[in-house]
Amino acid sequence: MSALKFVLRHTPPSAVDVSGLRPALLAGKSRKEITKLPLTGWNEIHRVGDLFSIRGDDAQRVVVDGADERLLRIGAGMEGGELTVVGTAGDYLGESMRSGTIVVRGDVGTFVGAGMRGGRIDVSGNAGAFAGSGRAGTLQGMAGGAIVVRGNAGDRAGDRMRRGLLLIEGNAGDYCASRMLAGTAVVLGRVGIDAGYLMRRGTLILGRSPAELLPTFNHNGWHDLLAIRLLLESLTVYGKRFQSFARSRPSLSRWLGDLGCDGKGEILIAPGRP
Amino acid sequence: MRARAASRGARVPGTIVMKVAGELDGVPVEDTFAEAFGMRATRLVITGETRAWARHAAVAATGFATSVIACGCEAGIERELSVRETPDGRPGISILIFAMSSKDLQKHLERRTGQCVLTCPTTAAFNGVPNEVAHEWLQLGGALRYFGDGWQISKLIGGKRYWRIPVMDGEFVCEEKAGLVKGIGGGNFLILAADGASARSAAERAVAAMRKVRNVILPFPGGVVRSGSKVGSKYKTLIASTNDAYCPTLVGLTRSALPEGAGAVLEIVIDGLDAGSIAKAMDVGIRAACRGGTGAGVVGITAGNYGGKLGPHHFHLKELFA
Repeated sequence: MSALKFVLRHTPPSAVDVSGLRPALLAGKSRKEITKLPLTGWNEIHRVGDLFSIRGDDAQRVVVDGADERLLRIGAGMEGGELTVVGTAGDYLGESMRSGTIVVRGDVGTFVGAGMRGGRIDVSGNAGAFAGSGRAGTLQGMAGGAIVVRGNAGDRAGDRMRRGLLLIEGNAGDYCASRMLAGTAVVLGRVGIDAGYLMRRGTLILGRSPAELLPTFNHNGWHDLLAIRLLLESLTVYGKRFQSFARSRPSLSRWLGDLGCDGKGEILIAPGRP
Repeated sequence: MRARAASRGARVPGTIVMKVAGELDGVPVEDTFAEAFGMRATRLVITGETRAWARHAAVAATGFATSVIACGCEAGIERELSVRETPDGRPGISILIFAMSSKDLQKHLERRTGQCVLTCPTTAAFNGVPNEVAHEWLQLGGALRYFGDGWQISKLIGGKRYWRIPVMDGEFVCEEKAGLVKGIGGGNFLILAADGASARSAAERAVAAMRKVRNVILPFPGGVVRSGSKVGSKYKTLIASTNDAYCPTLVGLTRSALPEGAGAVLEIVIDGLDAGSIAKAMDVGIRAACRGGTGAGVVGITAGNYGGKLGPHHFHLKELFA
């Protein structure tokens, strides 16, 4: 069996919700049935066959080829299987997913993995704002699973994050890990202003020193904590850059805050260039 | 010279005829069985910056845990773990704790970890029971976290939840839960020897061999018991009392079970996570004890049981010759 592949025929006239193209909903359906599945667009309903040409038959391995930023909610609510996206994915990729794997060979829009509870999202390019946050209007961000962004992430990455891993190899925008409730975010590159803004609990690990930290974070000292060693070791499965960061066993500068709210969060900063 | 009469059922050595299952190096092994009981058990992996600190914690955590009769639980060091075998890559010691109920085990796990591992510099405590064999889960860090007085931090790492409790040398890291398995306690055998020195020497050989078997502990001091017990007592408040049948100083007064030439007896008690491991430990232990034969002063091997009416697990010594 070969992967079930959806090749975009043309750019849709407006944004389309393609969350229906996930393995659990496609399993057991014939090519003909899949062709007729509805996809909700802006004031119109598209049929899968109108937007995509279809190849292959293994619904547990789905490929969306030639993706466009107008394709929203790719893999949203996924409950298993593999989904590969080639091209630029739109907003809310992997939103509320519970398990399975999404691999994006390209960039993704905003709110990638918003509210996700499990599974893994791996983005080879850049991610927009609010990666790993909550869906707009909700009070909690991602609550499980892992998001790996090999490029840069936009502002508010990890906003209201509740649990899980948000790993950014490149830089992150302003207000990284803002309003974080718990979980772990790692940025190997630079972060913008006010990282950890209103962070209540959780861990933010920075591979490079930020220009300045919020005044509501207190310096706790330089530590080599066992829990952080275990945490870093667990990141080695997420690629070479995390592997070399973990294996360098950095002694980390620990800052506690945000004292503007609960103050039980920690920002751990590796020594080195800002 | 043999005693002419033994009053009140007393027997003297030489009147006892063991039903022999076979001989090991010329040492007769009685055709009997060790009777063991179901217990609840868990394994804890204790690590430290150095093996010495891990060992300090492990020794303390398994102290005063020889018998559930008065200690509440039975515990011991299972083995030393290399840095490749521990979750945090540091030297470690694995310990096993056994109790009669899940509730008792929870209580003792919490107390012993809290008082002996949490308190020991640099140490951390991890669950040592794989998920697939855990029958149920005990609270480990989940119970100890309150020591952090609100400053404790929970961290989910690699799918496992850990608790980070602030202590004066940094943080005590502890896995949230420990797995419970249905273990077995009370596997045993008795070394009947000509004198105390021969009995101790045989017991030491047996213990050294048995320490290499995984999934078992020998909870008594040095792995050896000199005060074997029987069920009940003339005193109503005691549930167990000295096993007078094997006490050499009571020969002539009681129904002695000592064969001729036996002047001292030592027992080795084994608790294990499964019957196979206990059987293996008994096998290697008995063979080691008999090494050197009767010339080494060992005159017989037997095992303790209650007629098969109390414990569901029977380890027959004749299996040594199967």
